[in-house]
Amino acid sequence: MANATYNPTKTRRWGLNTLRNSLNWVYLLPALVFFFAYMLYPILQVFYISFTDYHYISSDPVNFTGLKNYFDAAVDPIFLLGLWRAFVFTLIFLPGVIFIPLFVAILVDRVQNPRLATIYRVILLIPIAIPGPMIFVLWRWLYDFQIGPINTILVDHLFLFDPRNAPQWAGDSPLTLPAIAVMEWWWGLGYHTMFFLAGLAAIPKDFFEAARVDGANEWQMFWHVTLPRLRPIFVILVVLRFGTSMAVIDEFLIMGGLNRALPTYTWTVYMWHLSFQLGTWFQGYAAAIGWLGAAAMLVIVAGLFYVFRNRD
Amino acid sequence: MDMTKPIESATSQEAAVTIQRPHRRRIKLGTILQHAIIIFFCLIIILPIAWVMLLSIKSIPDAYTGDLWPQKFDFSHYGYVFTQIPTVITNFSNSIIVTSATVFLTTVSAVLAGYALVHLRLPGAVLVVALLVGTLFFPTRLVSLIGIFEIQMAIGLHNTLPGLFLPYVTLGLAISILIMKGIFEQISHEIVDAARIDGAGSFHILWTIMLPLIVNGLIVLIIINFVTAWGEYLLAVTLTNDQEVRTLPVVLATTFGGFGEWAYPRIGAMYVMAILPGLLAFIIFQRWYMKGLTEGALKA
Repeated sequence: MANATYNPTKTRRWGLNTLRNSLNWVYLLPALVFFFAYMLYPILQVFYISFTDYHYISSDPVNFTGLKNYFDAAVDPIFLLGLWRAFVFTLIFLPGVIFIPLFVAILVDRVQNPRLATIYRVILLIPIAIPGPMIFVLWRWLYDFQIGPINTILVDHLFLFDPRNAPQWAGDSPLTLPAIAVMEWWWGLGYHTMFFLAGLAAIPKDFFEAARVDGANEWQMFWHVTLPRLRPIFVILVVLRFGTSMAVIDEFLIMGGLNRALPTYTWTVYMWHLSFQLGTWFQGYAAAIGWLGAAAMLVIVAGLFYVFRNRD
Repeated sequence: MDMTKPIESATSQEAAVTIQRPHRRRIKLGTILQHAIIIFFCLIIILPIAWVMLLSIKSIPDAYTGDLWPQKFDFSHYGYVFTQIPTVITNFSNSIIVTSATVFLTTVSAVLAGYALVHLRLPGAVLVVALLVGTLFFPTRLVSLIGIFEIQMAIGLHNTLPGLFLPYVTLGLAISILIMKGIFEQISHEIVDAARIDGAGSFHILWTIMLPLIVNGLIVLIIINFVTAWGEYLLAVTLTNDQEVRTLPVVLATTFGGFGEWAYPRIGAMYVMAILPGLLAFIIFQRWYMKGLTEGALKA
């Protein structure tokens, strides 16, 4: 490549050195091209049209409307309800996606037989080999009242319900968001367990020795040695997963569709619906909703980082 | 077989053994409970997948009675969806084209970038890393969606395969670069310096010396990006409206089960075909995948 003929005797000259180092940016070029063309540029473009009255299906000239879209969105009941629904979903989703993997990781970490330990890890990780949307399709079927095995087991095998009062997992039901959260827990179990396993493995073993010498029991060691050491992983996962779950959209589109009455119609679905389906595709307004929702999330993410900041 | 064992477990076992030695009998019961709970979670993971595989070989009436074990098996659904539903073969090859292109472009970009960030002198590298980490905390996919749609419409890539795989590259790009950076950080700078003194150029070093050392990381990247691109839904439903250019998973996600062509065992068979490539790749490469994950991915 550019410096294949690099000669060590020349490097003492400052100018050539800087030039050579700048040429190293060639390696970043492919990544940067994609990054700018399909991430940064579209995000900035969306930012721009959020200040206009741009309708996709319209030949009217586009006018700059300042903050009007943002003011409208801030009092739009559908948007606010959508934001609230996403928040409720996040509150249900977060504990399960953190504490179940933490529990499983502690158990798997103590498995003595190396081969078994590997088999457990591989099985738990299987869902990461299935694309998200395929997982949502699978669970849509699992929750189905007609062919779904979950209600079959509850009704025909465990006799907990009869067909008339069997739980309704999808559609307009208070169980819809918890049901989707359970699906997410299933999907992320192995992946998050691996995070905690890596954290557990990184704890120096003499910490436990020292604690034992001081007379600590297993529970005290877990509470005072293990948990504080897992804290950084814990913080990163809470913040990352908070962000992803507030911005969930594929799950809600696949499992709930575009019905405004359903609890799955969150601000993200509303944004998509406005941009590509409703009326004349008022993308200017949808863009403002996207940015407003993202800004609301960022504020809470910053707040979470502040709450979890290292106090020592 | 010792290679499959993640590096860290050896030391943790020694520690666990010493913890348990004083009261072995009580721990014994605890161990049984421990394995029982882990196996319970493993079953929860496996059973839904087993159910859908069973669905794909049930006779059609059996699929609708809700019985878990069918009265009669019917293996014809796989042949049926390929021969009787005309778009399935197109959708399947679309999936293969879109996924291979995405995986190739993302992996090459991430390897080059990761190498440069760690092993080459790069003015401004810190900025790039900060930007990449920042994108993980921002809903980029959602906010950029309308803009990507506008771009693809403007340059005529709506309803085309490149129109899908070009934006797909960015979905996994940031995390791929960070993973690759973690992997390259495991390789000592002395190797690079030694090769440089021997007169090797930076690309030559990457190609001949680095590449064999980052195989585990490459497998992690390939699997992650394969899974992302293979099943991508949101961009696909936004950027295409023609069944002919859609990928198999998108067709499945936009189909509601019913009767005839779309009877449940038949779309069950489509479903199994749609998830099988990923599952097989994961099972075959899990040894390297686990090692790659412990080497760099989890540190990213």
